[in-house]
Amino acid sequence: MRAFILAGGFATRLWPLTEQRAKPLLPLAGKPLISYIVEGIARSIPVTVSTNAVFAHGFIEWRSTIDHESIDVVIEQSKRDDQKLGALGALAQWVTQSHIDEDILLLTGDNYFGFDLQSFIAAARKDTALLAAHDIGDLDRARAFGTVILNADGRTIRAFQEKPRSPESSLVSTGCSLLPASILPILQEYAAHHPDNVGGIFEELLKRGKTVDCFVSDALWFDIGSFEAYLAATHALVGSRTISEGDVRCERTQCNGSVVLGKGSSVTDSTLTDTVLFDRCSVEDCVLTDCVIDADCVLKGVDLTGKMLRAGTRLTRK
Amino acid sequence: MRLKVLTILWVLSDALLFAGAYVLAYFLRVGFLLSTDFPFGKYLLATTIVTPVWLILLAMNRAYHPLRNQRTAANAATMLFVALVAVALFSLTYYFHYTKFFSRLLLALAFALSAAIPWLWHILYQEVLRSALRRDPPTYPTLIVGITRESRSLIETLQRRRNPLKPVAILDGRGSTEKEIAGIPVLGRLHKLEETLEKLHITHLIQGSDLEQSLNLLGACRRRGITYMLLPSVLGIVERDERVESLEGWPVTVVTPG
Repeated sequence: MRAFILAGGFATRLWPLTEQRAKPLLPLAGKPLISYIVEGIARSIPVTVSTNAVFAHGFIEWRSTIDHESIDVVIEQSKRDDQKLGALGALAQWVTQSHIDEDILLLTGDNYFGFDLQSFIAAARKDTALLAAHDIGDLDRARAFGTVILNADGRTIRAFQEKPRSPESSLVSTGCSLLPASILPILQEYAAHHPDNVGGIFEELLKRGKTVDCFVSDALWFDIGSFEAYLAATHALVGSRTISEGDVRCERTQCNGSVVLGKGSSVTDSTLTDTVLFDRCSVEDCVLTDCVIDADCVLKGVDLTGKMLRAGTRLTRK
Repeated sequence: MRLKVLTILWVLSDALLFAGAYVLAYFLRVGFLLSTDFPFGKYLLATTIVTPVWLILLAMNRAYHPLRNQRTAANAATMLFVALVAVALFSLTYYFHYTKFFSRLLLALAFALSAAIPWLWHILYQEVLRSALRRDPPTYPTLIVGITRESRSLIETLQRRRNPLKPVAILDGRGSTEKEIAGIPVLGRLHKLEETLEKLHITHLIQGSDLEQSLNLLGACRRRGITYMLLPSVLGIVERDERVESLEGWPVTVVTPG
């Protein structure tokens, strides 16, 4: 088996946090989001991370920090959205170029999976695709995801709908699936015409009469697609505590809710509530609520609520 | 450089026009001759003394600001006010120098001419200035952030009136599918901000939506010395009844519904 992590997006919706880093490299409660994924994959499974030319450097740096036997970074030569191969296109290209004839554990790099990946793999049946799904319990929110409708057996999928207008189910695809080697020809054929539609491959398999199993998980799962989702994931993982990543100076400061203080940060005379500071931030005499402050920001004497600040921002009240 | 040269020429031409208006008033009132009762030399000397003061008053009222629209009623009022102050100053100067009074009608004439002639010249010169400042590469390449009806209308107005702020690119936080607006290319989302600011040498940024990004846009502008402008519609103010005032030294945007 091989693991393939999709990390080729330009993450424009999370600007400015993703201005200089890919979404899977966003620090979440103290470590990059993609690290949670890789740590869940057995060391014996080779991992391939597919990214674009803009963010490649970040993944190469990140790879050196990870304790895993085999991590390969495949760089798609695209620098803009309109040059992208598409997620499925990138996977198909990798399958062809690397002569892959094994089962593939396909993961989206911007998702946090709370469930155990080993249990997920163990649930797979031979030559049957397996998709992990999570019940978000809200049909309205489900419109933003690929939704899954199960058969009466509660295990096999009857229908898969990518971002439906009127979802029939709140069970949504988590971006974690297992594609058996036997379906790779179908994948390549489908990817040639629909390079950007990852979810579409499951619709295609069902259309061709193939069985697709569903692994339903009620563990924590987050698709870090927006500022709100990022804060919610941080809140879920950090809880009501403060995480200091090391070499942090925090004096005369009140921290409420989920607070993460990045390496080398300094916070004095402030109140932080549900706020994340990336590395080397300096905060003095501030009240920050629901904020994500990127690296090297200097804030003095300001009150901010619900803000994402760009790296290197200086806000100093005179 | 282009702006500096044009502004110097503008000020010099204004000085000549102002003095010319007073000279014209003299001859219209006295007749086209050099009177011995009311010597032209003395009159001209007083005019020469007042001219720089008149220019300073205009500058203080931002009359030479390249973004100012010279055609507006507010601008006309400024020209009238400055001309009035100048004519009062001229009377005083003349009296203090020569302790003599002269025709009141001449003062009225000088006031009218020194207000009207420079104003008409300003309107004319504005066209020259705008045309020169917009010529490629433009003096003020402007980036518009956010596609809304307000920002679209602003872009069209800037283009139609040939404002010195020349929109050269548009970014949209929501990822508009439009390729261009009034001939201005939509380059993509905000992740292209740095690249756009750098490549197009942006001098002005006008934010038309994405309120949540105002701090980040402002931060980018501060870092590069770019002038940041915010459309009131971003704050939900669309009725054009806002004004910026000072409240005990604190600048505040005031909306007083009529």
